Parts: sequence; C-alpha cells; structure tokens
Amino acid sequence: MGLLCSKNRHCTEADTEENAQAAEIERRIEQETKAEKHIQKLLLLGAGESGKSTIFKQIKLLFQTGFDETELKSYVSVIDANIYQTIKILYDGSKEFAQNADSSKYILSGENKIIGEKLSEIGSKLDYPRLNRELAEEIGNLWKDSAIQETYARGNELQVPDCTNYFIENLQRLSDANYVPTKEDVLYARVRTTGVVEIQFSPVGENKKSGEVYRLFDVGGQRNERRKWIHLFEGVTAVIFCAAINEYDQTLFEDEQKNRMMETKELFDWVLKQPCFEKTSFMLFLNKFDIFEAKVLTVPLNVCEWFKGYQPVSTGKQEIEHAYEYIKKKFEELYFQSTAPDRVDRVFKVYRTTALDQKVVKKTFKLVDETLRRRNLFEAGLL
Amino acid sequence: MASCAVRGGCPSDYVAVSIAIFSMISLIVRSTFPFLIHKVPSAKGSAFWIPVIQIIASFNFLLSIVMAINFLKYEKSHWWLSCYVWAVWFEGPLGFGLLISCRIAQAFQLYYVFVKRRLPPIRSHMFLPLILLPWVAGAAFIHGKKPLNYRCHLGTHWIIPVVSLHTLYVAVLLGFTGAIRHIEFRFDELRDLWQGILVSASLIGVWVSAYILNEIHDEILWLQVVSRFMLLLTASILVLVFFSISISQPLLSQISLRKREPLELKTMGQALGIPDSGLLLHTEEAVDVDPSEPLDKLLLNKRFRQSFMAFADSCLAGESVHFFDEVHELGKIPVDDPVRRIYMARHIINKYIISGAAMEVNISHRIRQEILTTTDLTHPDLFTNALNELIQLVKMNLAKDYWSSMYFIKFKEEARMRCCGQEMEEMSGTIFQGDFPKITMLHTRNKLRFVNCLAGYCKAISHEVMNVRFRSRFWFEEWQINPFPGFRIDVPRMSSSTCSRVISGGCFSSGFLFSKVFLLLPQ
Repeated sequence: MGLLCSKNRHCTEADTEENAQAAEIERRIEQETKAEKHIQKLLLLGAGESGKSTIFKQIKLLFQTGFDETELKSYVSVIDANIYQTIKILYDGSKEFAQNADSSKYILSGENKIIGEKLSEIGSKLDYPRLNRELAEEIGNLWKDSAIQETYARGNELQVPDCTNYFIENLQRLSDANYVPTKEDVLYARVRTTGVVEIQFSPVGENKKSGEVYRLFDVGGQRNERRKWIHLFEGVTAVIFCAAINEYDQTLFEDEQKNRMMETKELFDWVLKQPCFEKTSFMLFLNKFDIFEAKVLTVPLNVCEWFKGYQPVSTGKQEIEHAYEYIKKKFEELYFQSTAPDRVDRVFKVYRTTALDQKVVKKTFKLVDETLRRRNLFEAGLL
Repeated sequence: MASCAVRGGCPSDYVAVSIAIFSMISLIVRSTFPFLIHKVPSAKGSAFWIPVIQIIASFNFLLSIVMAINFLKYEKSHWWLSCYVWAVWFEGPLGFGLLISCRIAQAFQLYYVFVKRRLPPIRSHMFLPLILLPWVAGAAFIHGKKPLNYRCHLGTHWIIPVVSLHTLYVAVLLGFTGAIRHIEFRFDELRDLWQGILVSASLIGVWVSAYILNEIHDEILWLQVVSRFMLLLTASILVLVFFSISISQPLLSQISLRKREPLELKTMGQALGIPDSGLLLHTEEAVDVDPSEPLDKLLLNKRFRQSFMAFADSCLAGESVHFFDEVHELGKIPVDDPVRRIYMARHIINKYIISGAAMEVNISHRIRQEILTTTDLTHPDLFTNALNELIQLVKMNLAKDYWSSMYFIKFKEEARMRCCGQEMEEMSGTIFQGDFPKITMLHTRNKLRFVNCLAGYCKAISHEVMNVRFRSRFWFEEWQINPFPGFRIDVPRMSSSTCSRVISGGCFSSGFLFSKVFLLLPQ
C-alpha cells in the first residue's frame, strides 16, 4: 500500500508530516492490538421473538449514546408497519376462524368488514402510508369489534406480535403528524433481525472507572438465520440465551406446526453441546416474564409437551411463582443433561427478565458483568 | 470349458467382470466429478439422495448378476452366498427394482412439475419406498416358495411373472416419459429417460433370451457362457447409461468429463438464456441514487443491486437480496414460456424456499406453504408475497446502514468514475495537482481498487471464524509488498517498519488502519 519511504528522498516538510502520520498509525495499531485482547465477546442467542434485539436495544440505551432524534424518527415507519401488519393478521385471522364451526363470533359487522378489507389491502403492500388520524380511528374501531377481540383472544394460533396492545392503546399519539417515537416505543417496535449486528460497550461502574469492554452480537432467531451463528462461535466469553417463557402455547413464525417452547428447548440443547462453548459461560434469560404472569393463570403450562408434568398448586402470585420455578427447573435440568462432565465448571446462571423494563435489564446486566469479572479473575488465578 | 461353463471362471467371465468393474468406476467418477473437481456444493434432499441410491442400486445389480450366475468359482457354503440373497433380493428390490424405481420417481417429479405445473404431492422419500413395495413383496414370496434350482434359475412358470414385473416397471417409466415427451426441456432430461428405457428394455430382452436358451439348451455349454457374458455386459452398459443427474440437478448435467477447460458453472438464469443474466453491462444506467426512493425501485438497477447485495452478504443477510435478484431474473422470462419459468421457479424454490435450503430466506410459514402448495409454478405472482416480506425485512435491517457503509461509498465512486471516465481518458496525464504529487488516472483507479479491498476487508470482519488476520495480511501484501506494476499509490507513506509490523500480525480488527489510509488518499 503506497510507496515505501525512499532513502534517497530528501527530508522535506512533507516527509516530516508523513512520518508523523506513520508514527501515529503505528501508535494506534499498538493501542488497538492491546485493546482487542481485553474485549469480551457476548452472543445473544435464542429462537425467534425471544427478546434478543430488545436486550440489544436496552444495552445501547444503557451503555452507549442511546438513540438520537434521527434514529428515533427512523422507527416511525417500523411502528406504522407493525400496526398495519398486526391489524391485517387479526382481520385475516377472523376470516379464517369464521370458516370453522362455532364461527358466528368471528364475523365482523358490515362497516368493520369494509374497513378490515381496506386495512388488509394496505397491510399487504410494500410501502405503508404514514399513520394518520383517519386511519388510526379506523384501526381503533376495527380493534373494538368483538370479532377482532375474539380473534385476538386466540392470538396464540396466529402470529400476533406482543406489541399489539401497546401500540393500539397509543394509536392517537402514534398518528400525530409530528410524532417522534419515545424510547419505549422503540423498545416495543418489532423488527425481525436478519444477519448479524454488533456493538461495543463498557458498563461503567458506580465508581465511574471503566470496566470490562464487551462486544455484543445480536442475531436473527428464525431457523434460516441459525446457520449464520457458526461464524460467531469462536472465542465467546458468554452466551446470553433468551427464552420467552410466555410462548409455551404458541407456534413458530417459520413453522406453524412446531411449538415455540419445544423449539427453544431443542435449540438450547444444541447450543449447549457446541464444541466451541466448552469454556463459555451461559446466561439464561427467562424473558417476557410480564406477559407470562398475565398468561399463566388462564392458560395452563401443561399445554406444552415439555411441561406436561406440571400441576398447578394455587392461584394468583403464588401460582405465578410456582409456574416460573417449574420452568426454571426444567431448563436447569436440561442444562445439566446436555453438559458433558468435563464442562460442568463453566458458569451457568439463570435470570428472570422483562427486556422492556430498563431497570430490570440494568440490574440483570450488572449481575452478568459481576459474574464474568469473577470468572476472569478466577481464570487469571487471582481468586 | 465344460467345468467353467457350469461352475464359473471362464476367460469370458473374467472379461465380463472386468467390464462391470470398469463400468462401476466410471459411474462413480461421473457422479462425483462435479463435486471433486469443480467443487460444486452438494445438493440437499432428493437431488442428492436419488443419484446416490441409483449408484448403490447399480452396484447391487451388477454384483447380484456376478454372484448369482456363476461368473466366479466359489463354494456356496454360507447363507449370504445363497441364490436367494443374490438372484432374488439383490437383483430385485435392491438392484434392478431400485434402479428403475429411482427413475420412475424422477419422471414422476418431472411430470408433476412440467405437466401439472405444481410440486409433486408426495415427496420422493415417501414415493420411492412406496413404488418399491411390489418388488419387496415379490422377493419375499419367491424366497418363501423357494423355486430356484442349483443354477439359480427359476422354473418356467415362475419366469413369466418375474419378467412381467420387470417389464411393467419399464412400461410405467415409458408411460411417464410419454406423458412429458411434448415438453421442450432445456437440459437432457428427456433424452436421458429415453436412453434409460431403451437400454433397460434391451437388457430384459437379452435376459429373457439368455434364460430361454439356457433352460432349453442347458447342454450347450458355450451358449451358457455367451449368454451370461451378454447379460453382464448389457447390465454394465445399463447402469452407466441409466445414471443421470440432469433430472435432479440440471445445471450439473452440463459438466462433462470430456471438457478440458474448467467449466464456469452458470447460474440457472444464464443456463436458461435469460437476457443479460449475471452480466453487468456498460449500458447499465449510472443511477443517481436517492436514499429516499423506495428500496424495491432502487434494487431494480443492477449496479445498485450488486452493491447492496455485497453489503448484505457482509452482514450475513445476503440471501434476501440474492432471492430478489433471481426473482427479478424470473420476471424477464415471458409468461408464454412456461417451461423456462418452471425451471427458474423450481430452482428458486430449491435454493431459497424449502426448509434447510442452501440460502433459505426468512419468510413466514404461511408464505412458504403458499409457494410450496401452489397449483401453478408459472404464475407471475408466485413469489410476490415472499418478495414483499423480504423487502420489508431488508428495509428495516439493512437499508439505513447501507447508506453509511463503504459499499455505498464505493458505489458512488464507481458511478462518478463512469460519469467522468470518458473525459478522464481523453486527458493525457495529470488531473490533480496540489500538495500531493501528480496523480494520474492510474491513481484514481488504484483508489477504487483500494476501496474494493477495504470493502472486502469489512466483509472479513463480519466473518469471525475466518482468519481475519490472514485475509488482511493478504490484502496488505497485495498493496505493499507485491505491488503490481502501475498499481501503486503514493499515499499513505508508511515506514517499512510499520508495514512489516502490520503484516506480521498487528491489529487487523480495526478498519481504522484502512480508513485512515483512505482518508489520506487524494479526494
């Protein structure tokens, strides 16, 4: 790259400047080489819609510069897309359910049917119109239709995203002409990840001294995306495996014959057995606890084959805790079944998370950071 | 002669066995050639398994003839050397039956795809065992009744149903082939099917003749020797001629052992003669790209699409853009050309849609099922919903980052160069002057080449498993240590010690090094 400095050239001012630049480059190379060795690689893995990207966004908000106004505004089209796609799923779902037995409750009123057709047409296009007051009102009216509510109650049979309620409740605000998404809106916005995204950050400690430097990788969770994971498996400090514990009665986006929890179980098993992760720490995030606690009291855990041995013991908060502990125990059993005896030393921790809750994520990550630091000190022989 | 005619080991027997061995070796070489020499990635699903099963069935068939009809002298003292193992099981359900069933399965696929214009309702892995059932039942029945004599010959009243079963399967293959004879295939599918039918029918003819002559004239020893020689010879020709990959993998069927020069594997678009497929023409418009334009419109421009594709590949998300590209190629095929449309649609489905496909795209279950259960593979909107879903995916994941990426910078640079290229070529020398030495057109080209390398380097960063250091070292050496004549840039002026330090394993993870260099280049 470029010509080498010729010994025959006289030292001119230009040469002095060039040498200074070369020296600067050398210094930076040394610095970066040193820094590279201390960067800890974290992978966010998990099935589709398990909350990986939400954790990723939270890390950006907590430990990087967060989202500036341009970035926030870039989510307007995403949120619009989420709303149109969701209403389309619900409307098309109601039509599908209306074709089966006991179908009268899924039939929309005449006017709402026309609105539904219009919104379904919008939802199938490539470019969505900006959400305005008129469209927001129509969506709101359609949402209130009992047929749509009945369909929503069976949302686990469709691919209704978790952000549905949140965006529908905030339609008025979202349809404002000068709408700028809030951080919360961005966290709720659903974007299916494809490929690999990474960020580098350092969780600054309370004493403000710089801590470990982490490089966090976010990936897509659908089956086709998983063949790309292998490119990231070398030199991983820790795997943060996200499992959405509310999805025990739902099927996959990419395969509606397969239960999501069963898929997560098999995926976790596969990840644990990867040769590259022999010494890698595993942080299991049992995510979407907020949705889980609302669901578990009405939908029994044993609809999922993996949890078929579950017996409810009580009601209310006690039952929620009992159900959660059962799931946690199942994952722990799976971990030990899938871990060879020579790997039992690797760190394995389970955390209850709600990725949308910044406080929870901050607290959880602090624990993760402490665990990894302790591990590093142990490996360095200082503990 | 008398003893070898009965017990085997005649010179002609050894010749026949040698021909059979040579035939098997040729078959194996022919089937593995594309993968070993041209490093073609192996296919998945029936495109892989059916040819493999054909090879195994061919081997079983030849071996059964050798073992059952006394080609070699050996004592049949063990159960696995008995007539029933070789002349019944290995010749029937595991040999000829399996061989012809594979072809029937392939012809069945072709019939459904090209005549019914939809994907077959029964997958090959279920269809093949199903059509093999009569052979298994027949073999079990014969094994139970034990009608074979000491020379592994069936009685006359047994040979009729056995030959009938063989003939029936050839007739079924004939039937499917007849049903698709009007299709103008682009590759050698029909020719291979007719060849297979001809040779298998000839084989049955030879076999029946040999049998009749042996049974009627078993005292004529030379007739026994000649008839079994002919039987093995015809079978050896059959297995070689019968094998074809054109049906399972039409592109691979173009790779020939005879061609000396390495064959550049074409895309399906090129193989089908789609205009401008895979080419980047000079006539392609240099588009002034406006990021506010819809992405699907921008992607219609081939140059932009290639740039975006390269960026998407670097983020390990390229399959969506490749899919767009091939669906775009499909769109160039006229609607009134159903055969080519079907080839292309089938290729796209096998490569992008089927679960576990090489470049499986991230689409919903419903959309995948819509495509796989379509009743019309030629429909112009077959992939529209999938395309829409993927463009949404790409817009939300990649578009924003692309505009600030090296790939877009490179794209703009190339567009600028193309715009100004003609004026620059007319100028004889200096185009820039100033603090830097005189820079000629050569340097501008070098800058572009450097940007190409930088873009490639950025791609390497994404592939953690690859030896990033190795790749960076290679590029660095290419630019510094092994400069091609004329491909040298005056900047940056790095000291030799800096260069050697970087080459010996300095910091490669930083695009910093190269970005710094880039900034030092004259703008």
